This record gives sequence, structure tokens and C-alpha cells, in this order.
Amino acid sequence: MSPFRFSTSPLDTAALQRDVRDESCGGFASFEGWVRNHNEGHAVTRLEYEAFAELAEKEGARIVEEARTKYGVTRAACVHRVGSLALGDVAVWVGVSAAHRDEAFRACRFIIDEVKHRVPIWKKEHYVNGDSGWVNCERCALPAAHTHEHAHEHHPVTPAPAPDYSRQIALREVGAEGQARLRAASVLVVGAGGLGVPVLQYLAGAGVGRLGIVDADRLEPSNLHRQTWYALNECGQEKSSLAAARVHALNPEVRVEAHALRLDAHNAERLCAGHDLILDCSDNFATKFLLNDLALRTGKPVLFASVYQYEGQLQLVRGDDATACLRCVWPEATRDGLVGNCAEAGVLGPVPGVFGSLQALETLKLLLGLPGLNPDEMLIFDLITLSTQRLRARRQPECAAHRRAARTAPLPAPEELELQFGSLTDATSAGFVFVDVRDTREREADPLPAESLHLPMSKLLTDAATLDLEGRYLLICATGKRSAAAAGLLRSQGFSGSHSLRGGLKSLKASA
Amino acid sequence: MPERPPPEQTIRVQYYALLREQAGRSDETLTTAARDPRELYAELRARYPFTLPPEMLRVAVNAEFGEWSQPLKSGDAVVFIPPVAGG
Repeated sequence: MSPFRFSTSPLDTAALQRDVRDESCGGFASFEGWVRNHNEGHAVTRLEYEAFAELAEKEGARIVEEARTKYGVTRAACVHRVGSLALGDVAVWVGVSAAHRDEAFRACRFIIDEVKHRVPIWKKEHYVNGDSGWVNCERCALPAAHTHEHAHEHHPVTPAPAPDYSRQIALREVGAEGQARLRAASVLVVGAGGLGVPVLQYLAGAGVGRLGIVDADRLEPSNLHRQTWYALNECGQEKSSLAAARVHALNPEVRVEAHALRLDAHNAERLCAGHDLILDCSDNFATKFLLNDLALRTGKPVLFASVYQYEGQLQLVRGDDATACLRCVWPEATRDGLVGNCAEAGVLGPVPGVFGSLQALETLKLLLGLPGLNPDEMLIFDLITLSTQRLRARRQPECAAHRRAARTAPLPAPEELELQFGSLTDATSAGFVFVDVRDTREREADPLPAESLHLPMSKLLTDAATLDLEGRYLLICATGKRSAAAAGLLRSQGFSGSHSLRGGLKSLKASA
Repeated sequence: MPERPPPEQTIRVQYYALLREQAGRSDETLTTAARDPRELYAELRARYPFTLPPEMLRVAVNAEFGEWSQPLKSGDAVVFIPPVAGG
């Protein structure tokens, strides 16, 4: 029998006690939690317990196992009621058998504290006046998460309260199951500035289980009119660490990771891995389009927000082939500095506050499966006139980002990627266009004996747009090493006809 | 037979971001002979110091992103909007 389970019928404590009896044990301790007749000054008539069973049973079993290992007890079990309970009913029972009384008492105490703190169980109290309310059971717990990390036992004088999600659990659309979904979710927030601050505040407050924060900047005094989570005396410190510390202080249950770096083509995939949803709270087009391409390549949704002075735009990119992406809306190359950012154009503090709050709202709705912003639309909100519009955006058949993503296939084996030719004339006959990936100095010192495009390694990714997605290219360097890497990189960007000359120029000279 | 001038239409125009700043207003309703958003934007560029070329903007007609060459009719609501990146 599982050491932790739920019961829909009244508990037979005598039978439960028999199950944990063991002849080798000299001590037995048990705890019973009862339904009492009042809570916070309200007279209670009966109550209901609800649990997200799948998650709760796993966590409960883990707690009992932890207690057995930690205190060396022989047998331990915990049973929790669900459903409707009357006053005086046993709501939860813990029993422990151990060689001596000390381990039995300690393990019993540990199990009930941890269960109250960690297992997602909710109770609805029915009051004498006819009202009812959902209450998070964790509110009565000691800060168990902290005490069990210490080597010695100690009892805090003023226990810190545990997070209490009762005000959102009370929503029909959230409930215990919705709360468990939020707890199981992992969100990456790119940018911990004007948008990122409200996003992180509300997601941490709501109990989203894991938050990643990416921001390379350090706090500056000019940030503070809109990033009001931070303090003037923290200027000069990394925003990612400041934000992570704030998240932890607000809700210690959230697992938070800070990355003090700028998202780029090399680290984007690694940073986004393991997260269910990416929030673009950045302040530049380069990051936004990088995240857009990543969404299309990996199928991971990205929720974009951007503000300008007194207005902003919100768009959800699902990353599939059927719905619009950022490039479907903005097909032309968009450069930073052309249309102004917060530093150049100015912004009123609450404007990113409103859009960050909308991003947090849409995120919670997405995680809870509630209706919201559609993937084929952009919300624009003018905070001068207070007018909102939802503009319909369609998946553009000629969208370059979608075309690239669709062509991205797993990297081929080296024998398909690298081709051997006796001479460049043979390769020309086979329909290849040559791309020289050597730097300018090498190219001048040892020119190719044929017409070629020049795309040095350092500019490969930025200048690849000049190539044709369908084109058959033979990439060439001195020995074939760099060109093989370059061909792989181009294929990962959708240029499926990219090949490398095996052995490079050296091999041609050898065969000549 | 001489070509007839296109009929005048009443169009509601909304400006966003840099365009709102340069127009000095959020929206207006105007009477125009412009047959499509491209002509309408060219006409507005003569009136306001718009610096952005149409390639850098999107136009939406009646709450849907559209084409610069799609015909306009009286009563249409036209939005001119550039990309923004602030955060």
C-alpha cells in the first residue's frame, strides 16, 4: 500500500495504526488533524477537501520516504481525506513506528508539516452565515521547507507564513487543478526591465513553479521610474540577480534562475530549453526576431510585448506553420534605432507596467487553458486615447521566417554534407555555386581559381540572407574544416542545399 | 472620353507610435480621393512630416492587416502602424 493516499470515506484510525505496527519497534507516534468549528473568527459548519490527486500522491509519498530516511523509522504512513467532512471528522492521519520515541515523534511532526506545506490540497469552508471560502491548507504550516534543510532541529519563534493562493484558487477556472498546473509550469522571461518587472511579480505571486530570467544589464537610475521593484541604492547591480532575489523574497516556492547575459544566436536555444513558454520583455528588435525564429524552429510559443511612449503591441507567436509570426507582420528587415526605443523616444512609467501586466495575465490564462489573445492577431493599446484594437494578422505564404523554419531538418551525416571533387570544374558541372568562407586576407593571398561568393565565417549568419534558400552551394575553405561547420550552420538556418568541399582547397591541389 | 477623377471618400485614419508623434494627433476623419492606402499615405506625407517610408510600416484596414494596394471605400477605418521595440 502506498505510504501516502487519499480517502473519500471516514478514516478507521485503529485499522491504520495496525498497518504501521512492527514488532521490532518500541515507539509509535500518530497525529490526527480534525475539522474544527471556526476559522479566523468565522463559525464553520462543515468543509470540503479537494486535491490534484496525481501530483499530490507523488509528493506525499516522497515526504513519507524522506521522513523514513531522515529519522531512520521503520514504518510510516499518511492518509488525507477528500470530499465533504463534518465537524470533528479526522481530516488527516499520520502514523510512525520506530525503535525509540524520539524518532517517532520527530518523523511524525516532519510528515504533517511537510504535507501541509508541499502537497496541493485545498479546503472549502462552509460558514454558519451560509458563505463559503476556499482556504489554502499551507497557511497553517510552519516554514518546513527551511527547517528541513538544517542539520539540527530548531523551532522558529515567529514562523514565516507560507504562500497562500486561496484568492485565485477561489476562481472556478483555477481551483486546485489550475494551481497545480501553474506550479508545474516553467516560464523564461527575457528582459527584467519595464515589462519584465510586472511579469515576474505576478508570475511569482501566482506560484508559477519555475522562472528563468535573462538580462545582461545593470540597474541605472533612469530605469527606476518604470522599474519600481528595484531601489536607487542597488544601481550598478545586475538586474537578473536583483529580480531573482525579489522573486525569492515574494515567493520562496518558485525555483528561479538568473542569467546575466544577452540572448544571442548561440545561447538562445540552450536558454529556452526546458521552459514551456517564452516571454519577450526585451527592448530591441534583434532579440525579438531571434526569439521569433526560435519559436518557429522549436514550436515553443513566445508572447511578445513592445511599448512606445504611450502605447504598445502584444502578439502571441505559437511557432507552428499555420499561424502568423512576427515576420508575417513585419516582413522587412527592422533595425534598432530607426523607430525609437525608451531611451530615445521616452516612455511614461505605467505604460510598460500595463503591458507587462497584460503579458502576465495572458501567460496565466495560457497556462490555465483560458481564452485570450489569439495567435492570429495583434493587440494594440493606445494609452492616450485608451482605445484598444485587435488587428487580424494572417500567416503570410511568402514569410521568410516560416520558410526557413520549415526547411530546417536534422543535420545530415558528414558524407551527405561534405562532397569530394577532383576539380572545381566538376563541381560547376554538378550545378554548384561556390561560397568562399575564408577571411579576406586568405582569399587575397590564395584566390579561388573560379568565380565565387565571399561569405567569411564571421559574417556567415548575418549575411546568409543574401543566399537563396533553394540554392546549391559548395562552401570552400583551406582544409575543409571551417566550410563543413559553415555548411552545418547554414543548413540549421534552412539553407538545405549547402555542402562543403571535403579537404578544402588543399585536396584540389593534391589531386591536381 | 476623359478619365473621371476618383470619387471623394470619407476615411477614418489612426496613427500609432512615431506617426502619431509626427502627425501630432492619434486619429482623424478625412475626405480623400486616394484609391488605396499607398495613395492615402502619400497624400498624408504632404501634410505631415512623416519620416518613415511605407516599407517600414504596416497598414490595417477595418481591423485587419492589409496590402498597400487594396482598394479603399468610404467608411473604411485605416490604421498606419510602425513596429515598436521598447520594453
